[in-house]
Amino acid sequence: MIHQKGIPMKSVDESKLREIFGDNNVKTDPSDLYAFGSDSSVHHAMPWAVVRPDTTGQVQKLMAYANDALIPVIPRGGGSGMCGQTVPIHGGIILDMKRMNRILEINLPDVYCRVEPGVVDDDLNLALKPHGMFYPPTPASSRIATIGGEIANNASGVRSVKYGATRDAVLGMKVVMPNGDLVTLGAHTRVEASGYQLHKLMVGSEGTLGIVVEATLNFVPIPEYRCMGIANFDHLSHAGGAIGAIMASGAIPSMLELVDSVAIKAVNKTMNLGLKEVAASLIFEADGMVKEAVDYEINKMKEICTKHHGSDIKTSYDPKERAKIFMGRKKLFPALSKYDDSLSSTSLADDMAVPYSKMAEMAGKIHEVAKKNNIIMTAYGHCGSGCMHTKILMDTNREDQWASAKKAITEIYEYVRSVNGTTSAEHGIGLSKAESFKVEKADSLKLLQTIKQALDPNNILNPGKLMQAPEDWVTATGLRYAVHN
Amino acid sequence: METKEKTRFKHLEKWESTLSACIRCGYCFEHCPMFKYTGWESDAPRAKIITAFGLLSGELEPTKMAADKIFNCFYCKRCEAACSSGVTLTEVFTDAKKDLVEMGLKGPGTTSVTYMNCARCLVCVKACPHEARFHGEDGIETDPVKCQACGICVEVCPAGAAKIENNFGTGREDLITESSRFLSTHTSAKAIVFACNWSYFPDLQASRLPESETHDKDYEIYVNMCAGRLESQLLMAPFLNKAWGVLVAACPEDECQHKNGNTRAKKMIQGMQSTLERVNIDPARLQVVEIPAGDKTLFQAEIDTFIDRLNSMGPIR
Repeated sequence: MIHQKGIPMKSVDESKLREIFGDNNVKTDPSDLYAFGSDSSVHHAMPWAVVRPDTTGQVQKLMAYANDALIPVIPRGGGSGMCGQTVPIHGGIILDMKRMNRILEINLPDVYCRVEPGVVDDDLNLALKPHGMFYPPTPASSRIATIGGEIANNASGVRSVKYGATRDAVLGMKVVMPNGDLVTLGAHTRVEASGYQLHKLMVGSEGTLGIVVEATLNFVPIPEYRCMGIANFDHLSHAGGAIGAIMASGAIPSMLELVDSVAIKAVNKTMNLGLKEVAASLIFEADGMVKEAVDYEINKMKEICTKHHGSDIKTSYDPKERAKIFMGRKKLFPALSKYDDSLSSTSLADDMAVPYSKMAEMAGKIHEVAKKNNIIMTAYGHCGSGCMHTKILMDTNREDQWASAKKAITEIYEYVRSVNGTTSAEHGIGLSKAESFKVEKADSLKLLQTIKQALDPNNILNPGKLMQAPEDWVTATGLRYAVHN
Repeated sequence: METKEKTRFKHLEKWESTLSACIRCGYCFEHCPMFKYTGWESDAPRAKIITAFGLLSGELEPTKMAADKIFNCFYCKRCEAACSSGVTLTEVFTDAKKDLVEMGLKGPGTTSVTYMNCARCLVCVKACPHEARFHGEDGIETDPVKCQACGICVEVCPAGAAKIENNFGTGREDLITESSRFLSTHTSAKAIVFACNWSYFPDLQASRLPESETHDKDYEIYVNMCAGRLESQLLMAPFLNKAWGVLVAACPEDECQHKNGNTRAKKMIQGMQSTLERVNIDPARLQVVEIPAGDKTLFQAEIDTFIDRLNSMGPIR
């Protein structure tokens, strides 16, 4: 192991990098390195160099060099990761994949496309739209998130309840291994039973096992009809009951979102939307090619909400009305950022998943823990897929607030594990969530490390993440805030 | 936990909580012309915010390279429109620039400069919508903090003395080269659309499409910082490369981000239409349309209408 803290920094042969990538695709000035030391998480650490490959051959050459020289390599997409996955905790070379951004093929008869990892999710959807198709995982960050990053973190989003996560859309891929070898994993077919599903192993591996240089992805038709609805609830438990009942009813929502009272208040305070301040709202949607089928599903969801004491229920096919219904959820992200000038919205413990029956209880638990630790936390999320999002609002300049946040997060994760939930639903582990991840996966950590050792014996690919991450996320790296005593 | 020591950035200091409020989601990327041009994340708006934080916290030395990061900005404010945290990024950049200038770290950025052939006629001083140009000790000078690189000084200068220091792909020569390349490589190419940065909110810009998806394109869109910066030489260039027509998209009356760049463009295009008529070319082949900021639907509708009109006219004979 060469990359542990305290080991002297290895130097990078800059001329070698320039030879592989050309002068215009290598950065070593501190002003560039500093910017690449961050992503969308709370962490920051300096890399030693940043390079931009244009070809698979360049990635192979870099890995052969780095593997020989024992230099960490951290693949990076849009830098929208929220847990520090691309923060170079032990230094090394950032491999910025954004230049490998070609949509190589849109194959309609065989219903797949081949893309390079730097293709932006929204760009792929824009290219598919004229063909009446879309790529379904679509995380909220789809405007900058790259396909490579989405594969690395098994990204998903509001429509994953019906269409699945990234792992469900990936048919195959080409991967450069840590020693520079190029391998083809998976297939171009909808089904495959030809041995180990190694392409699925790469999904969610956070850049620690190999570098995806091409992906074959499934896509689906854009539905003709969409109908969205909203229901208000005076008690969290009633909303929770409705969630479980909808998911067990046979109706397949294309979206099922929960927004709690803290979130509604935040949106009203900062955006002046005048939403009714209830304990919780559920936003639900059905889509399909046949209106009668969509009617059937949306009516079923309405009936269930009514049965569980939902009020103010309304539904609409009209795009403008749908936008109005979704406004509160859509504006939540900026609303939380603007909630209070002295508070920052931080991404910590922000995407756990729990069984459907525990969604409402989970939201209540979040409120209870936040109150106890004197911080503000909101609960919202894709309850149809069991994913609960939170944001912690705190004064990030105060050291004591970080201690409170850490305590709250530990308590929340203890609850999540106690109800058979999981640490991350769609953002990944990186650094911020390693503490709970290690407890949750305690009996398989050795197996994970064995896989890592087998594929990356020199531990050069994104070292120090997942099971290798430090126990204490607060001190794992520098924080990207000015923290005062 | 480390407590970071601050250096003296007295103008930037007031933005400390804002720099923390930025959640660094990166949603500002896709809209930034600088990122579009260089492709480097470290040139995008989020990186400028990170740089500002590094300078303020003392984690990053105030060097020329760091200063360049802040100065290289067109002030198009697309980043602010896209910001999920409501951060007024360009105001942060302006205060960082003030501090850097006081430290003697004036980056060249996108500012306008004046060359030896300046006649000191002061036309540019009068025309500058941002009061950035003045008659100083060394002749006509530009305040690098105030200049927003709209390029109106370049368009009005009768001596060709005003130049934008760094165009980053939006200069006349860049646009002529790119539009010529499109016209010569696409057999179905008919039109070139020049849009100011506010009229056109680019969708697909980061990723590259396969040849099968693009070979039958009949128009291409090129963006510059202000319609007031469009020059007759640029607008005529596509006609010399067998374009059937040229469409210009500008902000509506009273909505120009650089005060009157749109009206300047309209006047110039009216003059050019008369010229086209004199040489027996239908003036409708050069059109200007008004597009409110971000109105994609109207923009696309105007392009479709223009292409339909060109189809009815056929190529220029």
